[in-house]
Amino acid sequence: MTATAGQSKRTRATGESFFSRIIRWILIAFFDAGAIWFIIQALTLGFDQIAIVLGIIVLMLNAIFLWPKAYPYRWMALGLSFMIMFTIYPMVFTLYVAFTNYGDGHLLTKNQALPLIEKITYLPEGAPSYTWTAFKSADGNYALWLVDAEGNTFLGKPGEPIAAARPGDPGIGEADAKGIPASIAGYERINALVAVTDQNLPEILFGAEGAGGVKITSPTTASALEQRFIYDPDNDLFVDQSNGDIYNNVHGTFTTKDGKTIKPGFREVVGFENFINFLTSPALRGPLVTILIWNFIFPAVSVLSTFALGLAIAIMYNDKDFPFKKVIRTLLLIPYTIPSVITILIWRGMFSPEFGIINRMIEPLFGWAPPWTTEAFWARAAILIVNLWLGFPYMMLITSGALQSIPGDLYEAATVDGASGWKRFTKITLPLLLVAVGPLLIASFIFNFNNFGLIYLFIGGGPPIAGASTQAGYTDILISYVYNLAFASGGRGVQYGFASAISLVLFILVGSITLVQYKFTNMWEEVSENV
Amino acid sequence: MKRTLFFLVSIMMIATMLLTACAPKTPVATQPATDVPTAAPVGPAGTLVVWADDTRAPILEDLADEVLAAYNIELVVVLKASLRDDFQIAAPVGEGPDILFGVPHDQAATMVANGLLAPIDLGDKADLFVPVAVNACTFDGQLYCMPYATENLGFFYNTDLVQTPPATWDEVVSVGEALMAEGKVTYVIALPGGLDYNMYPLWTAFGGYVFGKNDAGNWDDQDVGVDSPGMIAGVQFLADLAAKGDIPTDFDWANNHALFETGKAPFIIAGPWALDRIRQSGVHYAIADFFPAGPAGPGSPFAGTQGIYINAQSENILLAQTFLNEFVATEETMQKLYEAGKRPSAFIPVLETTADPDLLAMGKAGANATMMPGIPAMGAVWANWNNGITLAVQGTSTAEVSMTDAANKIRNVIANPLTGMVNVPGSYQAAAGCAADWSPDCATTAMIKGDDGLWRSGPFTLPAGNYEGKVALDGTWTTNYGSDGKQDGPNYTFSLTAAGTVEFVYDEATHLLTITVK
Amino acid sequence: MSNQSQSFKRLTGSLTFQKRFSMTVRLIIALFLIAFAVFPVIWIVSASFDNSNSLATQNLIPVQAGIKNYQRLFNLDPQFRFGDLNYWRWLWNSIKVSGITTILNLSLTTMAAYAFSRLRFTGRVTVLKAILLIQVFPNLLALVAIYVIIFQFGEIIPALGLNTHAGLIMVYLGGSMGMNIWLMKGFLDTIPRAIDESGMVDGASHFQIFWTLLLPLLRPILVVIGILGFIGTYGDFLLARILLTDVDKYTLMVGLQIFTAGMFDKKWGVFAAGALIGALPIMITYLSLQDQIAGGLTAGAVKE
Repeated sequence: MTATAGQSKRTRATGESFFSRIIRWILIAFFDAGAIWFIIQALTLGFDQIAIVLGIIVLMLNAIFLWPKAYPYRWMALGLSFMIMFTIYPMVFTLYVAFTNYGDGHLLTKNQALPLIEKITYLPEGAPSYTWTAFKSADGNYALWLVDAEGNTFLGKPGEPIAAARPGDPGIGEADAKGIPASIAGYERINALVAVTDQNLPEILFGAEGAGGVKITSPTTASALEQRFIYDPDNDLFVDQSNGDIYNNVHGTFTTKDGKTIKPGFREVVGFENFINFLTSPALRGPLVTILIWNFIFPAVSVLSTFALGLAIAIMYNDKDFPFKKVIRTLLLIPYTIPSVITILIWRGMFSPEFGIINRMIEPLFGWAPPWTTEAFWARAAILIVNLWLGFPYMMLITSGALQSIPGDLYEAATVDGASGWKRFTKITLPLLLVAVGPLLIASFIFNFNNFGLIYLFIGGGPPIAGASTQAGYTDILISYVYNLAFASGGRGVQYGFASAISLVLFILVGSITLVQYKFTNMWEEVSENV
Repeated sequence: MKRTLFFLVSIMMIATMLLTACAPKTPVATQPATDVPTAAPVGPAGTLVVWADDTRAPILEDLADEVLAAYNIELVVVLKASLRDDFQIAAPVGEGPDILFGVPHDQAATMVANGLLAPIDLGDKADLFVPVAVNACTFDGQLYCMPYATENLGFFYNTDLVQTPPATWDEVVSVGEALMAEGKVTYVIALPGGLDYNMYPLWTAFGGYVFGKNDAGNWDDQDVGVDSPGMIAGVQFLADLAAKGDIPTDFDWANNHALFETGKAPFIIAGPWALDRIRQSGVHYAIADFFPAGPAGPGSPFAGTQGIYINAQSENILLAQTFLNEFVATEETMQKLYEAGKRPSAFIPVLETTADPDLLAMGKAGANATMMPGIPAMGAVWANWNNGITLAVQGTSTAEVSMTDAANKIRNVIANPLTGMVNVPGSYQAAAGCAADWSPDCATTAMIKGDDGLWRSGPFTLPAGNYEGKVALDGTWTTNYGSDGKQDGPNYTFSLTAAGTVEFVYDEATHLLTITVK
Repeated sequence: MSNQSQSFKRLTGSLTFQKRFSMTVRLIIALFLIAFAVFPVIWIVSASFDNSNSLATQNLIPVQAGIKNYQRLFNLDPQFRFGDLNYWRWLWNSIKVSGITTILNLSLTTMAAYAFSRLRFTGRVTVLKAILLIQVFPNLLALVAIYVIIFQFGEIIPALGLNTHAGLIMVYLGGSMGMNIWLMKGFLDTIPRAIDESGMVDGASHFQIFWTLLLPLLRPILVVIGILGFIGTYGDFLLARILLTDVDKYTLMVGLQIFTAGMFDKKWGVFAAGALIGALPIMITYLSLQDQIAGGLTAGAVKE
């Protein structure tokens, strides 16, 4: 290790050639120019967060490529940039959301919600409302043939008072079957669908301003609708124009004193509310211990079983001259190549206690068959079998690759020493293999720790735990349990804020476990240093 | 020198990235060129983007040619797998479609609450739609979807095994058990899960319900009926059958359908979506009305409505509405939608000409159907309800215990409607106009947030006397602050020597309440 | 000069009976293993030929056998014909996106892993730990956040925005600094440092050591990680589903999801048919790359 470090220092000391330095500076200059243009664009469009993240990335890249001491980071500069943008930034977003009420009912930002609320209209008492038919002149002006509820007919033009008119009047053609004139002098009758392709049409006021003028408000109606809610930005409240009610902003919903609300609500920072809700929620009084224990057993057994089977296959069919080796390995890869969405469902069907093929094979043999989906132990066994099936090809691939990198002369030396096959496996193969795949076992553990897809698709966390204070099942793991709490059975719909808060709490828990495991990987790393 | 190679590789990688970045542009640039001859020479006058599933998309695509030819309006049809979920992500960003085609009405409630949907005006075609379906699409008195189909379960019986349909649930059991005794069938009835939805006609036959309705006729999420006596009786009825071995204990949907289709069970409750497979299986069947189990009257299935929605952020709301009224609310399109979806049409002219005897029978079975509650609280119900039924039917616990348990879990998660309320409950409240003193949910004394971030209430006119009070949040006592600003702290006290007014100011940062007596 | 199988042969060369016996036993075990691996897949094959479109696992021979699902998959069912629905296009999109992602991903990870394995620098352990921790983060809102990022990118550079494969690839690369770095670093750690040192004596730079000495040794594991990465990208539908909005841009998994949209009328038969055909390219690739995996060089060969 010290040798390597010393070596790299020496390389650096020799300095880089003039040519390469110029190239480097030119490249950085070009990159910076492009990046600054991009950031300015982002800022003008109002994408502040993206601009900030990009700014951080640009600064980081500049530091990495200009500062000689940061040389090792050049090897990972691009990967780090992508990681910051697409992995770390979403994490920061989750962190922020945990302190908001983001979720169903509060999905939009306030800036999005206000215009929507301002769009809500009402028809004041006595205000005119007609059904309309559009006419268009050659130079693009519109006129509307209007019919009110009593069947009286009018002609409306922009800027002129709406006047009573009848088919057959001067300049107005004869009525068709629906009582609408076929033509109006200077105008051509147009279909409603043609008329509304003009996006400006709803903005045009037919008739005089403030004197019975109407706008097109729906495919058939033109009326003098008025804005129902007027926003008072100073007091952050809406006033209902139809009855004077005052709607105050209460936690992201405009609410009257007596509880009437305006939809939609919007996203607001609510402080620690989500965390308090979680820590006082029935979730924590629920069967959390049962779930936690299973949450460790499930990934541990899954990793061990898949690794053992994968390694056994890799070793058994590793010889170059083993017959059908390629075919055998390819067939064994199949479980990994078919989307698990469908294979998990197939397994669920096969494990069906009453109809499934598995029990129909077992029952004649033993006169008894396991209640796979209805009893805790068997349900857990079934899900572990499925996960073994899903996971062993992955381990097979990894370990067969890793076996190649174990130097052959080590075996020779051991053979000369007269070591038995098993001894060679435990003393040479396994330790060296763990150097390579140790981190992967941890990754696999972590993946299964959060393996929501399998748990949810197989039997939805079932069988249910009787008498639990919240919805929970014997195969539920934390993440599926949380999912049920925050999404599926949330009485208020999807609550991103609440879910984010829970996931942060979980992250602290799982993160510390991971850091403990990190010690083991460190141990493996030291093994390799001694090779 | 050596580093140059390193940089060259970096450049190559960046170049690859840029190349991949440019790649998609090429087809975009070339495709319109080949399309141009068929399209109108000038660009379309308007464009509407529609998201639809694989059953409806082909119908819309047929319409697209027609609309383009007649009105020069381009209809872009996009096939989507999870319409609602993707819409909820895309629409807030302003990237959603103009029209969302084919989402059940009970999924629309949250979209309405989120402000993602624009109201719909059926115009002069309003009378052509089935009123129940239009009702299902109406939220807060405003119509948000154009319904095109309704759906409900029907009671299927095997006509080779059973000549006359049963008239009571007891008869289902006696007929079924007789057939079992003869060795003709394996089970009395097939039970495709989830039992919550699919056995709803049984629960209702015993008088069970999910949510009650308030006086105004709206769903009342405070009245949970999952542990109503009728529901418990219904679940117990099924549990008793299970104990006798009369029904399967595995509620897999496909396998239970197979039981009916192969004649191993004489009865099944199924929806129109299963018609195709039942017909293809060759089993002889008929569809009967639902029947009673006791004094509660005949059971009823849930009814659902499939609808078409308009994006609130669309720039073409009026165009989208007019398109729907002109092109979709027509006999021709509605007929095609009916043929592709095999659901009773929500469009009266098509419904009236429907000749399919099965769909007519299903429609009759659904005449007294309960519209699926389109309220967010329903999300809290499904899994808990189903778990309760499963535990009882599998014999893990009694119906009474498991259903009470389930109902309590549901009540636990259903939202407190007063979340966000800041109130000053106290001994003055009755005098200030509340129903009772010390009520944290009394609207009269609820506080309002001012522009300075402080909450205010009053002035309230009170008679002389000594009073006490406290700050409570969310309409309950769960979170309350006393005179020291601490949670669960001591009461504030104030007194009026003569009749006068009192005003309250609350600072949510310090949790302190200022009381001003005049 | 020698590799495992050779040393194995040398050890067992004389014991032909024992060798044959062990081979036979291993072949029998292989049969059992293949049965375990393939059995559920047979049901998927059966479902793909079941016209009733369900996933019932009662009978292996479908009651209503037929090729309706394949017709529907290839857009040959007249009732459900849809202009843009093109299975082969989706398959090609998947191969293209996964292929490009895999190659870029491999270059990014291998280089980073080299630095982590061979260089000692400030922050090395911290970054490694951070990568591990990031994997644990239950990133519930990643979809929403990434959708917004890509939308905003697209407003500035349309070629990187929503509904582009470039945007999707970029997002996939965001995950490249994940566990693959650990994995690759683990393999690099097993390669004896003596090899680097021999290069350093010759005055080679880090890059030359990496490029000429280590990379050839890494070939088997590059292939393995490549295949794993390819399958991972190939199978993703969550990100691709929300980022791609044109049916002809869909990847295979997004396209197949279309058939499972309904609540009760999921067309599992069509999905099964599509998934089976979609698995073939992966299996063919794996079959043809087997020699690369097995034919890795050994340390002994390099030393000479």
